[in-house]
Amino acid sequence: MSDLEDIKTRLKIAKSKLASKNNIRDNKGKGNYLGNAFKLGTELVAAVIVGTIIGFILDSWFDTKPILIILFFLFGAAAGIINVFRAAKRMQKEED
Amino acid sequence: MATNPMHQFKVHRIGPEIEISGVDLSFTNASLFMLISAALLALLLLLGTREKKLIPNKAQLLSEMLYNFIAKMISDTAGKKAKPYFPFIFSLFIFILFCNMVGMLPYSFTVTSHIIVTLTFAIFIFIGVTILGFIMHGFKYLKIFVPSGVPIVLLPIISIIEIISYLSRPISLSVRLFANMMAGHTMLKVFGGFVISLGLIGGWLPLTFSVALTGLEILVAFLQAYVFAILTCIYLNDALNLHH
Repeated sequence: MSDLEDIKTRLKIAKSKLASKNNIRDNKGKGNYLGNAFKLGTELVAAVIVGTIIGFILDSWFDTKPILIILFFLFGAAAGIINVFRAAKRMQKEED
Repeated sequence: MATNPMHQFKVHRIGPEIEISGVDLSFTNASLFMLISAALLALLLLLGTREKKLIPNKAQLLSEMLYNFIAKMISDTAGKKAKPYFPFIFSLFIFILFCNMVGMLPYSFTVTSHIIVTLTFAIFIFIGVTILGFIMHGFKYLKIFVPSGVPIVLLPIISIIEIISYLSRPISLSVRLFANMMAGHTMLKVFGGFVISLGLIGGWLPLTFSVALTGLEILVAFLQAYVFAILTCIYLNDALNLHH
């Protein structure tokens, strides 16, 4: 039984500590921003790479070098921008 | 050779050469360190869940914290429907975390700094999520390539862009983890090399840097495992709750 009593008092102390700490908690998000920054860079590049590879493969299928590779490079760039846009929107939602 | 910063990424064989129908299946240092990380995490979780006390010891506290962390992440990003996939995401997160952290020890090998490892994870997730989407929604799942409210003239172009954006998921997922781990470890080794070559007089500055970078790398190791897991959750969410 003394165990339980002990826990009760410990919980009380911890809770009051947490309550006072909540006000100075702004620092915690900093690591998250770093993660977000890493996220956006690759998001843009990956889509461009995928688009270009698709263009390259289609080009060698249909023998239309270099039209499709150019076209799909542009599509890939557009997809990359959309990806970044969506990721940024998601971050903003998390922020609120 | 010791100062070559890329030397640490070399995969070499340990023990006899095993070859099955032309595929090299030898035991390498990469496999060794995967086994070590798996053993460590199994040890931690087994110790943590062995005796369930009201006042937890350190191992129990750590495993409960990990459990809560992942459970909260899944319910925040993918909602209630994603609860059955908790074991998968938990094992994914904790395995990548331990691989990254074991890689931070001196003389160890960072499994996740090889693109083939991370790409295997990412493609596995990508295929799994796609199959899941088709199971849950049938052919309606293709709707994610057709955003609502787009004029019919633009639809072919938008669909192509959406498909490319969908296909780029495994690439961005894997390249992010691999590039971060590899860049970080190369940088650490480069600064370590400076300490040696500048000697007793000038070596203190790069030594300070490499201590600071080690701290940063530990943060990145955790963060990348977290980002990998949270993006898996987001993709899972797209497959489970269809809306665009």
